[in-house]
Amino acid sequence: MKLNKLLLLIPTLAVTLGAGATIPINGTVESKCVIMTDTDGVYGNPTADKLSTTAADGGVVPIIRYDIITASAYKAVITTPNSFSNSPELPDVVNWSGATTVGQTSDASMSAFETGKVIYNNSTEFDLSVAGSVWFNVSSIAEYGYDKALPAGNYTAFITAECVAQ
Amino acid sequence: MKLFVLILVLIGGYASAHQFTPTYPKLTASHMSGVSKAEMLLFNTRKEIEYYSLGVFDKDWNKIKFASENKIIPIAYQERKYVNVYIRDQDTLRTMYICSRSKILQSVKSTSIVASRICSKIKK
Repeated sequence: MKLNKLLLLIPTLAVTLGAGATIPINGTVESKCVIMTDTDGVYGNPTADKLSTTAADGGVVPIIRYDIITASAYKAVITTPNSFSNSPELPDVVNWSGATTVGQTSDASMSAFETGKVIYNNSTEFDLSVAGSVWFNVSSIAEYGYDKALPAGNYTAFITAECVAQ
Repeated sequence: MKLFVLILVLIGGYASAHQFTPTYPKLTASHMSGVSKAEMLLFNTRKEIEYYSLGVFDKDWNKIKFASENKIIPIAYQERKYVNVYIRDQDTLRTMYICSRSKILQSVKSTSIVASRICSKIKK
């Protein structure tokens, strides 16, 4: 008889204990850099010989977001294109220019990224010395030959966004 | 600030992002003698990207020979993948960076595409 009562108690206890159970959720925040493509750029074609991502030229400026968990762990290097990865045949020279600037930031002190940036070749390097999120605006302009019209077709170019641990 | 970023990460859900961790990996002994390994984690939430390449470099960005299961890693959208990078013991002292880089298929026809590269630095 006692054994029967005990057997009945076990599921009752299990339900009672289960209802009150706490489930831990564990998480860790580790040092990392996340590169996020916020806005895909689009080349505008303001004149026959020019492709440009700037709004004034009818383009859309590509925007890249970097999330920085730990300050000074990474530097960002953003490289604007100097060739098309996909285009019609271009027998003449394409002159490339571009610029990378700091856009929105999650922390006002990130304005230091813009003043401290280093530009070499077609790359711009930023020391990510403040944790948070920063949006970089990247413009790219391609001018073809000397007042020559770009052939009709699709044009694709790459922007390279890098995070390099320091 | 860390809390802000964490909230952003959780709410934002990384619509289109590339992660490669740890930032400072350690080279440890592998199951083969004379070969060390680094355990890396790749996370892809870029919809248009299905492959990432790996690279190992010294401080001057010279390439260093390495082995891994795949040098071009196939990875689905929102997938996490652990990647072991094997480096010869004779190269471990000069090894500085392990990098992953997005590979964009020719079929992707956006006019301006972002190629992302993240480099971790070996902990000495």
